[in-house]
Amino acid sequence: MNPPAGAALTTPIRAYLDEVAGGLTGPRRVRARILAELRDGLEQAVADRTAPGEPADQATATVIAEFGRPDVVAAAFAEELATAYARRTLITYVVTGPLVGIWWLMLLHPDPWRTSLAALLTAVPVIPLITAGLAAAAGTLATTGRLMRWLPETRPDRALIATATVAGLTLAGDLFIIDVAAHSGTLTRPLAVIALSGSLTRIGYSLRTVVNASTRRRALSH
Amino acid sequence: MRPELLKGHLDALLLAVLEPGPQHGYAVIESLRIGSGGTLDLPTGTVYPALHRLERAGLIGSDWETVGGRRRRTYQLTASGRAALGEHRALWAEFSIAVTALLGRTRPAPA
Repeated sequence: MNPPAGAALTTPIRAYLDEVAGGLTGPRRVRARILAELRDGLEQAVADRTAPGEPADQATATVIAEFGRPDVVAAAFAEELATAYARRTLITYVVTGPLVGIWWLMLLHPDPWRTSLAALLTAVPVIPLITAGLAAAAGTLATTGRLMRWLPETRPDRALIATATVAGLTLAGDLFIIDVAAHSGTLTRPLAVIALSGSLTRIGYSLRTVVNASTRRRALSH
Repeated sequence: MRPELLKGHLDALLLAVLEPGPQHGYAVIESLRIGSGGTLDLPTGTVYPALHRLERAGLIGSDWETVGGRRRRTYQLTASGRAALGEHRALWAEFSIAVTALLGRTRPAPA
């Protein structure tokens, strides 16, 4: 039996969910979904007990006890939240990387375009860094996602290390490419405004990511 | 049952519970408890992250619906989940035969 529509959230359940919420760190949307799901489970469990006649107060207390201590429940979600954070951040890098990179490529590409790989690497020397970052991101996304069935799963702490590494490589790449562009005199070209804005925005994001990933990893190990 | 004994088997048990059809999170946990005769009685709130991990792995899917004015998440097995469950069953059969063969032996009487 379902609880009545629009039933007010009882105070003990609200207090319990508030305590769980206090221990959750991660993307806001993910946390909101976790709490909505827990709320549904708690209310359904109470309804299952009150339907045959158990007093509501007693049923609520029993159900809350069965769900587990709020800190234990929050800790159980910590690894999932850490992985969700790592995956979301890595996807951001993979998706936005080309949006920044394309402008630098248009500014710094060798002339003529069709030339050797060595010439391309000389003109855009961050390519090895980008390749390493992409490989780390792709590997982590694969082994924290659907390929987990076949490949060894990357644990949340390792996923956070990979995220900080990708952020570090991107940070180094952005600083390096700005330096290369400054020395080649291309920063005065109109395209450079877009490329530079993209890189500076990403430098800020990468700095925050290194700090956030490290903080989350420390919290996970406690 | 000690929770650490469940480690490594919880994925398969959750997949097995979802095999007959879609269920919401709390119903999955209740099925686990009832299906095991109360032996698998984990803190309810700690089973949800295991469901989320299975979804991340693509072994189960979920949909949100509104029931009785509340948002409810319902889980169902995916084709990959069904295949993974089959693999878990085969491995478990092999493992349990081997363990039963050893642990099930009657201890020889001391000479």
